[in-house]
Amino acid sequence: MQCSKCGNPKVIIKKEQSGQLLCKDCFIESIEKKVIKTVKKEKLLDKGDKVLVALSGGKDSVTTLEILNSFREMNIIDICAVTVDEGIANYRQDGVDIAVRHAQRLGIEHKVVSLKEDYGITLDEIMQRENHKGSCTYCGVFRRTIINKAAREMGATKIATGHNLDDEVQAIMMNYLEGNTDNLTKLGAKTESKAKEFTVKIKPLREIPEREIGLYVVAKDLEVHFDSCPYAMQSFRGEVSEVINQLAEKHPTIKYSTLRGYDKIKNILKKELKKEYPQGRCERCGEPAANELCKACSFLEELGL
Amino acid sequence: MAFILKYKDLNEEREIPREDYTIKDLLDDLNLSAQTMVSKQNGELVIEDTVIEDGDEIQLVQIIYGG
Repeated sequence: MQCSKCGNPKVIIKKEQSGQLLCKDCFIESIEKKVIKTVKKEKLLDKGDKVLVALSGGKDSVTTLEILNSFREMNIIDICAVTVDEGIANYRQDGVDIAVRHAQRLGIEHKVVSLKEDYGITLDEIMQRENHKGSCTYCGVFRRTIINKAAREMGATKIATGHNLDDEVQAIMMNYLEGNTDNLTKLGAKTESKAKEFTVKIKPLREIPEREIGLYVVAKDLEVHFDSCPYAMQSFRGEVSEVINQLAEKHPTIKYSTLRGYDKIKNILKKELKKEYPQGRCERCGEPAANELCKACSFLEELGL
Repeated sequence: MAFILKYKDLNEEREIPREDYTIKDLLDDLNLSAQTMVSKQNGELVIEDTVIEDGDEIQLVQIIYGG
């Protein structure tokens, strides 16, 4: 058994989808080349961009930072990062510390924003309230708002997130199965909003399987926070993920074909189904909002804050 | 015939139960999915088809967590 590219007998991965065997160096190179190919194909970066990486300290965001940094080293873009501290005891601090160390290692501008400082409450405290809407609902909305604000404050022209192939395929299938055609029009490598306050979002890892990102950080000895969020529960996403992974065992190319199929119909979906939301302002914080209050402020009102 | 297993807080010596016992067999015995793990044999990344040898140190790293 030897590396399909260089003949090295120390193979670290057998790619089920292609049968290709790769040694450590060829595997690392293949991941980096593939991400760079996605960046070019989808035109994710423009020269002079300042890219804000949403850096949790987990494998996906650390890989995003690591590979985008190669564009920074070539003076094509500048990079900054933000880490959101949701206030989850015995979980988040490790990720925050790792994020701080990566930012220092690369010498990039970095800020940590906490829910407690911005909104006066932690996710742990929200979860102690009766009739809460579930941790992921608050976490998703508050995190998105914080990252968007940070992008404006830091002068970023793009926001890069660590969404991988598995995340993207789960989102496609979930929205399809739920009949959520509106959300189905919002997926893709690059999402732009009409509201100028919302910075363009890019997903450079969109074509990399989750397991390969895990292998990449271990192969490169990158420090990452490998742990499970204590609020992770049996969600619909989890169920969909399980079905897709079961199918992928017998049909190893199924995640790629789902993504390719979606990409082929995406423009038609957008043209036919994209909703136009009213372009108002949140009465409380002034952020763009479809209703009187933006989603974050409507949650804060419900929480009595 | 034995090997050292390192996994999270676990650090123990285990018997090699049969010939051609692979890391994939070990993962199956531990009820762990190869899809969520990567494996090291004596400190170097290897694929799950690797046969565990006498005296090996096998380290399992969980890389995918739910949520």
